[in-house]
Amino acid sequence: MSVFMDLNLSYTAEKSRLQSLIETAAHLGFSTVAINYVFEPADKKKQDIPSPTPINELIDQLPIVQGRSRPIRVLNRLTIVMSDPSHFRPNAAEYRCFDLLAVQPTTEKLFHAACMMYDVDIICMSVTEKLPFFFKRAPVNAAADRGLVFEVSYAAAIRDSTVRRYTIANAVSLMESCRGKNVILSSAAEKPLELRGPYDVSNLGLLFGLSDGDAKEAVSSSCRSVILHAETRKTASGIVYTVKSCQQETLPAAAHCRFTQSCDTQVRFKEPIRSLPHLTTHR
Amino acid sequence: MVRVKSRYLLCEVNVSDRSRLLQLDDRAVAAAVKAAVARIHGDYGAALCSIRFSVKYLNTHTGIVFLRFPKRCYKLLWSALPFITSVETRGQKIPCFLNCLHVGGTIRTCQKFLIRYNTQQLHRMLPQCKNEEERQQVRKAILNCSLTGRNKQAFEDVSDSEDEEE
Repeated sequence: MSVFMDLNLSYTAEKSRLQSLIETAAHLGFSTVAINYVFEPADKKKQDIPSPTPINELIDQLPIVQGRSRPIRVLNRLTIVMSDPSHFRPNAAEYRCFDLLAVQPTTEKLFHAACMMYDVDIICMSVTEKLPFFFKRAPVNAAADRGLVFEVSYAAAIRDSTVRRYTIANAVSLMESCRGKNVILSSAAEKPLELRGPYDVSNLGLLFGLSDGDAKEAVSSSCRSVILHAETRKTASGIVYTVKSCQQETLPAAAHCRFTQSCDTQVRFKEPIRSLPHLTTHR
Repeated sequence: MVRVKSRYLLCEVNVSDRSRLLQLDDRAVAAAVKAAVARIHGDYGAALCSIRFSVKYLNTHTGIVFLRFPKRCYKLLWSALPFITSVETRGQKIPCFLNCLHVGGTIRTCQKFLIRYNTQQLHRMLPQCKNEEERQQVRKAILNCSLTGRNKQAFEDVSDSEDEEE
């Protein structure tokens, strides 16, 4: 039994819909989901990056995953639709509240830059139009070495027939250049009826040209390696891991004792995650 | 040994409101699957679907379906199942989706899996019971399931007590 993850659930402002989305995902067997905030900067006006609402405001009690005894884990993710190099500002402070960062390039240059240089975790493929550029082996291999993954989402294909053709066309051309590794499949579901179970999703991978083993990896272990990669971004390559702990200290008072609580941050050193080969899939 | 082999797909029909599940019937589900396969894989898919495809079992209370496909091409036909968005029956469209739980070579293995799955569902339902009476019923059903050698009867007990919960 492996962990299945769906790293793209669209954020909607209605809380009840988001709650039923998460409950359906737990019922289907996904152990981890990520709520996706899409940010599309327009050229004219300056927009702010949306800040994520904390998980305990969205849903009070996380439902338990089907087949396991733990509750479902919900992460926050930001997707930036880029049509210009100035849209993505590396090391911006607003990115810190998101657990996962994704970028959707629309031109070949941006794709090349995203694969080689940008500090993101996921590169999304647009599914609603035929991609104007072709994938070259060099940036794709470089991205795979760095630990990035490419993402294909399937909910748009379920909704509409012409979009289905674009999805399959883009996905097949991606699989040709990346040879089936470092790919994740996720829904971009807005309603709970657009989610599909993990075995169905890995079967969709067969339609896109993945082999059986690769399709199953696309729903399970590649997603896990993305989450670990995102953790290394926050913690300086997985070496420094800060934990807040509260300590009580008693003041040496003559007349009466007072307890004050003070929080101090402990800095713990962990092994660099990249050096543990069985945790991340990279060549 | 020459034997015609099939694959049985155990699927669960998920709807947004459970009362509409009762209106499903197996011919409607079969028609929905054939239409989806024809939409996705065209004439080739529709032809493959007509070989040995049928809906073997449908439980309207829990939404479980057994679909039978020929072994040679079951993956292709399975890949068309996620594209089903609604099932049309008696003039109404019920928006739903099919979630595949298990693939087996015979109905027996699928049934064994279904019994285990239903006991897991009962265990999941226990903390969500609203009053003591429901809790007693669920506990009785769980105890019934753990007896061995009474597979078929346990299956019926489980599905009966499940529909009392709804």
